Amino acid sequence: MYCCLKSFCLTVAVMVFITIPLCAQNRYIKKYENSLVFAGIEVGSKGVKMSLVEIEKTAFQNGAFNVMKDTTVNTDFISFTQPTYQATLNALNGLYDMAIKEYSIPADHVFTAISSGVNIQAVKENKQNWLDQLINAFRFNFNEPERKVSVIDVKEEARLSHLGIVPDSRRFNTFLIDIGSGNTKGGYFPNGNTRDFKLFQLSWGTKSTGNAAEKRLETDNSLENYSNALIRILNGVENSEIVYAINESGSYSMSDNIAFSGGIAWSLATLMYPELINNSVVPVTYDEVVGFNEKLLKNYATLSDYYVIKTSADKNMDMEVIEKEVKRVNQVFDHKSLMAGTGLLLKIMRQFESVYERKKFYLVKNGAVGWITAYVNQRSAN
Amino acid sequence: MRDVRSLILLLVSLLLVLVSFILIWTWGYRFYNKNDEFKVAAKIVITDSNALANRIRDSLQKIYNETLYKLDTQLDSTLLDSDSLKKQLDVRLKEFFRLSDEITAILNRRNNNYADFNVAKKKIDELKTKAEDLRVKNQIVDTENKKLNTILEQEKKSENGPEKNIKQGNVENNVQGEQPNPAFTVFAASELRLSAITINDDKESETSFAGQTNKLVGAFTVTNNNIQANNVEMVVVVMQPDGRILKNSEWESGSFNTAEGKKIYSYKTSFTYSKGEPKRLLFSLKTDKYQKGNYTMQVYYNGMMIGKILKTLS
Repeated sequence: MYCCLKSFCLTVAVMVFITIPLCAQNRYIKKYENSLVFAGIEVGSKGVKMSLVEIEKTAFQNGAFNVMKDTTVNTDFISFTQPTYQATLNALNGLYDMAIKEYSIPADHVFTAISSGVNIQAVKENKQNWLDQLINAFRFNFNEPERKVSVIDVKEEARLSHLGIVPDSRRFNTFLIDIGSGNTKGGYFPNGNTRDFKLFQLSWGTKSTGNAAEKRLETDNSLENYSNALIRILNGVENSEIVYAINESGSYSMSDNIAFSGGIAWSLATLMYPELINNSVVPVTYDEVVGFNEKLLKNYATLSDYYVIKTSADKNMDMEVIEKEVKRVNQVFDHKSLMAGTGLLLKIMRQFESVYERKKFYLVKNGAVGWITAYVNQRSAN
Repeated sequence: MRDVRSLILLLVSLLLVLVSFILIWTWGYRFYNKNDEFKVAAKIVITDSNALANRIRDSLQKIYNETLYKLDTQLDSTLLDSDSLKKQLDVRLKEFFRLSDEITAILNRRNNNYADFNVAKKKIDELKTKAEDLRVKNQIVDTENKKLNTILEQEKKSENGPEKNIKQGNVENNVQGEQPNPAFTVFAASELRLSAITINDDKESETSFAGQTNKLVGAFTVTNNNIQANNVEMVVVVMQPDGRILKNSEWESGSFNTAEGKKIYSYKTSFTYSKGEPKRLLFSLKTDKYQKGNYTMQVYYNGMMIGKILKTLS
């Protein structure tokens, strides 16, 4: 009885989560006249993500391919428990079904992959058989024994992210850094080709930095104490890891542009430049991020959706969209997380600030669909 | 224990089924109302930003004029009131002094009888009343004077207001960006040009037709006889006929601060500038489709517009 109910409950939950995006929008609008639509389904650490990508012939020359839809079902696969496994499989099946039936995308235009984060965790916990089981069950469900489900490694994921986010015109002079919740990774192409990729990694991300600062608070949970703890943590991170990792990457002399992706880049871009809501990339300077960091400390209230809308000068902007996105940022990142992420971002940016040479900094908002987009593009080209 | 957990799971399942129904109902409702939403959105899209700005400016001007008219009327009426009060005061004072003289004359007469004293007494009473009247009138004049001063001060404030606002705006700009002394910030932009270019067999030629345009090329010359700087930033805004900003790619676009608020730019360039040097700057912008109509190119330095040109494509 209990087991039946448990399975029933899980199935209903997955159905609900799949119904939400279905109900929200079950149609897409094409941007280009002559284009093809592909779907990329990625099994990630936190959940299963589907991106619908519209690709035109010239799209990768100007970096403006169109991501039509981005849907995520949270399943927490890396817990490696039976319920999360079942939820992940159901989500994978559900999204694949959705791509084929709801969006009428041919099966050979739907690509499936498993992210590096899942693979690393599976190796660490000796659970690679869970991945094999998931892939086989998925193939069996749709009777496609030959379907390719690639397991991507961290370097390939960073390389694909670069290919998916950075336009061709900036391919060989841009250093892409993805600040995640638990770590930071990225890199650049040092040899003028897209095969050789120089990987850059840090063991610190927004969440891990914030958690380390929280641990130092002891009894005083005030914001001031958190800020002081954060400063100490970040100074340590800078001295022990960031300086070394940046120097070792050799990226300073090779890159004119430093692009940051990840949740914190998205949130800063949205809060700092609401007027550029429709841009997937926004330019930023070190001083502007310093100013934003000060605002976080002294005037956090001005970053609320209400205040951002109230102070927007150009009332012809799509205020509804801005309000929604600012609200979403404030839901995903609370005050302390924003402080931790901004602090880490500033420490990395600082390594590229020089009196003699000015690097251009960018905040990328659509980094989450970067690698799967490039993967889709790479596979569709083949 | 297991029964309790089963019961909880059953409740959760029912709850989820309920949520599903609500979601489906919401979806149905939204689908039903979708046409209305499109109508609202369409209304927003067709709004011309310039017309809107003009309308707001006109209505503000109207309010300002009305306020000024009201203040003027109020001031005039107060001045009139004040004048009439002054006349009344003068009349009362004359009466006061006349009565005072009459009383003095009666009292100075040596052959005064009882009747004369009665008259004098009446006149003294009348004088008292007049004096009291004068005191009241004096108070009214004082009050009117105060009112008049208040109105004059208000008028002075309203005259100084916009200037103060501009000053505050400049202060904010200075905080946000690197704003040197405004006296030295003004570059002069000249020889502004915006051309539509068509490419045939790798040969570029100018066109005036939107359908033939492959790219827009802009050029302008900037000069400044006051400064020599390492990092001068010029910002160009090219507005399409539909009011949207023309951009090459999102990597080359961004926003900048002006006195009217943040604006999105089409192109930004930095250069080293030698004092007095006429610096010619060029840029090109490409898009998928060029609209027919007027394209506006604006050149900004330090948030101030220093040049503007219009290009029409048919």
